[in-house]
Amino acid sequence: MGDYGLSQGILNLKSIGAITFGPDGILFLADNVDAAVYALDVADSAPPADAPIDVERLDARLASYVGVDPAHLSIRGMAVHPVSAAVYLSVMRGHGAAASPVLVRVLAGGAVEGVDLLEGRFSRLRLGDAPRADDERQDVLLNDTSDAAADYEINGVHLKISRIGLRASTITDLAFLDGTLLVAGASNEEFASTLRRIPFPFTDKAQSTALEIFHVSHGKYETASPIRTFVPFNEGASVLASYTCTPVVQFSIADLLPGAKASGRTVAELGAMNQPLDMISYRQDGAEYLLVSNSRHPLLKIPTSAIADQPPLTEPTEPVGVPRQELAHVGVSWMANLGPARVLMMQRDETGELALHSNATYTL
Amino acid sequence: MSPRQRPLEASWSAHEGADCLRVVGSSIDALGAGPRAATAASGPDWLSQVLAVFPVFADGPVPADFPAMAGEFLLADDGLCFRPRHAFLPGQEYELRVLAPPAGPASVRITRPRPVAADRAEVLAIFPTAAELPRNHLRFYLQFSAPMSEGQAATAVTLRRASDDHVLPDVLLAMEPELWDRERTRLTLLLDPGRIKRGLAPQLEAGYPLSAGQDVVLEVADTFADAGGAPLQSPAYRRYRIGPDVRRVVSVSDWTLAPPTAGSTEPLVLRFDRPLDQALARRCLTVQDERRRPVAGMSTLGEGERDWVYIPDQPWAEGDYTLSVNPVLEDLAGNSLRRVFDLDLTRPEDAPGSTAPTVLPFRCS
Repeated sequence: MGDYGLSQGILNLKSIGAITFGPDGILFLADNVDAAVYALDVADSAPPADAPIDVERLDARLASYVGVDPAHLSIRGMAVHPVSAAVYLSVMRGHGAAASPVLVRVLAGGAVEGVDLLEGRFSRLRLGDAPRADDERQDVLLNDTSDAAADYEINGVHLKISRIGLRASTITDLAFLDGTLLVAGASNEEFASTLRRIPFPFTDKAQSTALEIFHVSHGKYETASPIRTFVPFNEGASVLASYTCTPVVQFSIADLLPGAKASGRTVAELGAMNQPLDMISYRQDGAEYLLVSNSRHPLLKIPTSAIADQPPLTEPTEPVGVPRQELAHVGVSWMANLGPARVLMMQRDETGELALHSNATYTL
Repeated sequence: MSPRQRPLEASWSAHEGADCLRVVGSSIDALGAGPRAATAASGPDWLSQVLAVFPVFADGPVPADFPAMAGEFLLADDGLCFRPRHAFLPGQEYELRVLAPPAGPASVRITRPRPVAADRAEVLAIFPTAAELPRNHLRFYLQFSAPMSEGQAATAVTLRRASDDHVLPDVLLAMEPELWDRERTRLTLLLDPGRIKRGLAPQLEAGYPLSAGQDVVLEVADTFADAGGAPLQSPAYRRYRIGPDVRRVVSVSDWTLAPPTAGSTEPLVLRFDRPLDQALARRCLTVQDERRRPVAGMSTLGEGERDWVYIPDQPWAEGDYTLSVNPVLEDLAGNSLRRVFDLDLTRPEDAPGSTAPTVLPFRCS
């Protein structure tokens, strides 16, 4: 593999969140406590694999490996290695200030291997526009009327909450596209919701674009709430992004200009009291589809062909927008492409058991 | 087992500064001088073929085919040490298994000690401290003595009906993320605002979370874990009587203020017409002198959030003072100086945007 500006050293990772693979099996990972993104050589030299992966009791297996009860584990991200097809999971072990970051790969058959986060070949970029951890406006107040407050929507009620959570949302999701790392999340700007474009190998130049969307269930334009999850589609010309309570918004990559404010086109409204969890793109019979997993709503399938034709939603109305199909897969959270022919889903069943399941794309 | 055999015994030890699990016994001895001598040649993985450490889950032992805990086995003088890759967790039980003959199968369990109870966190206060809450009460605050873990408010905090201890379901709003302060010692809990604002779907379907006339108990279970995973010293409770709704703006003209005597450091005592939000009241009230300079001093909020007392660092001077109120100050139901949380359209005097006074002048003489 190329050099990509990586060098051997001590990572000193404070936390771990979203992860995604880039070129040559380099893993990008987010550390929100440190407001940094890392590019890490995960040194996965396993031979190419193209087989389904199905692992039952995933959280219990991980918990056993890191030596805690499953209650002390939280999975923060999932990505499939483009060659070995091992499933990489970012995990926080323990709670609160005592929590520590863990990166593992899960192999077909359920074996778990640790990836060294203490030392390795890596490169790091600290985000200069991250919300400050010692922001004075961090006393938690609801219905705070100051400009520093971020917008939250809870059970149909609009609340303003001071920036306590914003630092933790510096990076909410990652994607690698044409030599550029796309980083969604919150910035320290007045219009906090941002999509950063970071050239890789890292330089000190991250270009941030503030985002504005029409939030259907709020009935207004919004610039504060960050993207929860997004996915590039249409050959990398667009991204589809989803937000809490749950507008689905298209942005053109060409509109993401540094220092500008990009207005998204709200193409669907999935409904309130729901958080989108993950999105992926896959092809079926030559056409591209997107899957959106949700905290409260079913797994949704959206044909990308419908997105281009969808007029922007600009009125506060009931769930509407692009046609979509509800899939029967229960309790889906993280998703990843497992080669071109399969989609890997993390699913929690009715009994609370967490598992990885491979789904052939023709069945979706 | 022959009389000369020793059972497996586990203890905690340290190796090169890392916490280790040490194990001795005949089963370890049976791994033998031969294998021990062969260890170096066979590589450190050899011991991992015959020994494994697992956490013991709350619902039982880990199945044999699950990944063992990451770490390495080290030969010690009189037995063997396991050094984990991820530190042992306080309160967690671990099981060392000898997997294969001739030494196994055999196993021994040991629990990582927790901090002693006196070091554990406690609930210092539950706010409001008012005895009566309006039916449209909006939020509670829990003040802990130490940084706490997130993700437990939904299970460890309950609101119960005092008459029969019945847990009121879906009353406290599940928040993700939870509303912690920066030190993670203060948690804000919301009653579901969707069930308080009239006309919203949750209010129409599920009704008010509380009923006027009932007594309720807010309980914080001792299972609420601190940042290190240890439980509280003890559970905490506060009992409330639920009164009628409060849907009026907070008005300074309804407050009474007792001016202190010039030349003294007597407290300035402000009496509210109703209990106010504890967190906001602490930061929304300030005192200025004639020249609009802030008067340095210390404020306290009385029990029940009905009184605010201000003691100046320097004696009061003779002259005019102003008590200024940040209009975001709210009562227990979320009504502020500027607006009613759930506006009654038949009361135009409560319409938002009103410019009700936010200062209360007083004179020291």
